[in-house]
Amino acid sequence: MARDGFSLPPQTISLGDLMRLKRELIALDDFIHQSELRSLGHALKTPPKASTALNNYAALNHLNFLHAEDRQKGIDFLDHLSVHAPRAHISFAIEPSAPTIRKIAGWFRDNIDPLLLLNTGIEPSIAVGFTLNTDNHYHDFSLRQHFSKQRDLLIEAIAKSDEAKRS
Amino acid sequence: MTFWWLVVILITLGAVGVALVWLIAKLSQIGATNTKRNVNQIIDAANNDVEHIFNDQFREELRNRGRLHFERIIGENAMFLQQDLRLTTSELNEYLKQELGKSLREEFAKYEQSITDAKQMAIDSIEKTKQTIEEQRAELSQKLNEEVEAEKQRSINRFEANMADIINHYVLAAIGQQIDLSDQMEYILSELEANKQAISEDIRHGA
Repeated sequence: MARDGFSLPPQTISLGDLMRLKRELIALDDFIHQSELRSLGHALKTPPKASTALNNYAALNHLNFLHAEDRQKGIDFLDHLSVHAPRAHISFAIEPSAPTIRKIAGWFRDNIDPLLLLNTGIEPSIAVGFTLNTDNHYHDFSLRQHFSKQRDLLIEAIAKSDEAKRS
Repeated sequence: MTFWWLVVILITLGAVGVALVWLIAKLSQIGATNTKRNVNQIIDAANNDVEHIFNDQFREELRNRGRLHFERIIGENAMFLQQDLRLTTSELNEYLKQELGKSLREEFAKYEQSITDAKQMAIDSIEKTKQTIEEQRAELSQKLNEEVEAEKQRSINRFEANMADIINHYVLAAIGQQIDLSDQMEYILSELEANKQAISEDIRHGA
């Protein structure tokens, strides 16, 4: 399935969000299909109430979920993403707020891949900063790693402090 | 003439000499005979009068005199012997003193030499022991310093190796969860931006 023209809503950040969106879309499809069966071929003129993520998904991709074809496109694309979407796992010391993770996910989608799924985790030992796991690499942008990189400066600072104490 | 006169004189002189010798010999013989006769007479007289001269009183007197004389001689000899003995004893004492002193001095010299040698040996031994102890102390000190330096270096290396974790631990303990992620957003985005290329290649190509 082609990826061109499709994009994910900002609310759908992680694989879990994607699966929730997919389940909602499938549920909507089931609901509409059953409604069409019950109303003897008359289609619904107003869609049922959906989540912001689903509405944004439809708006961003110019899909009308009242049409079975658009729903199927949406489901197929989400299916495809659930398997083939690029993924990353980012960890922080504390649970990030929704706006924060949305901002970070936005950066990834703007600069790395617009369809990237970003899972979040908690690692208290990070203290400050974050770590990033991909399928192949582990990137450590924590304060600990920053200290390790700046070890010479730290040693120099400690030595100066020691000299100052002695004098 | 002269010769004959001379012979006559010599003959005369010879005859005179022979006559003188004969006369002297004759006189001498007569004198000896008289002397012998006198001596015999005297001996006989003495023998006859000995009992009159050496009576008991005289004998006792002689005995007393002899005893006194003998005692005096004995006394003198005893005195001389005593003096000799004293002198000998004194000389012997002096000799013994000298010999003993000499022997003692020699023995003391030997003893002193032995003591000096023993003292020197003891001093040498002490010096060697002291030197050995000093060397061992220096060696131990050096080893201790090396160990201390090595331990210090190990501690420094351990500290440096784990410095980031240590400081991170203290920072974490100090700040806890007080730093909100929104405060870190600038840092997070700047780190992402700085490593954008690597992250992008990693995610897209799995490099």
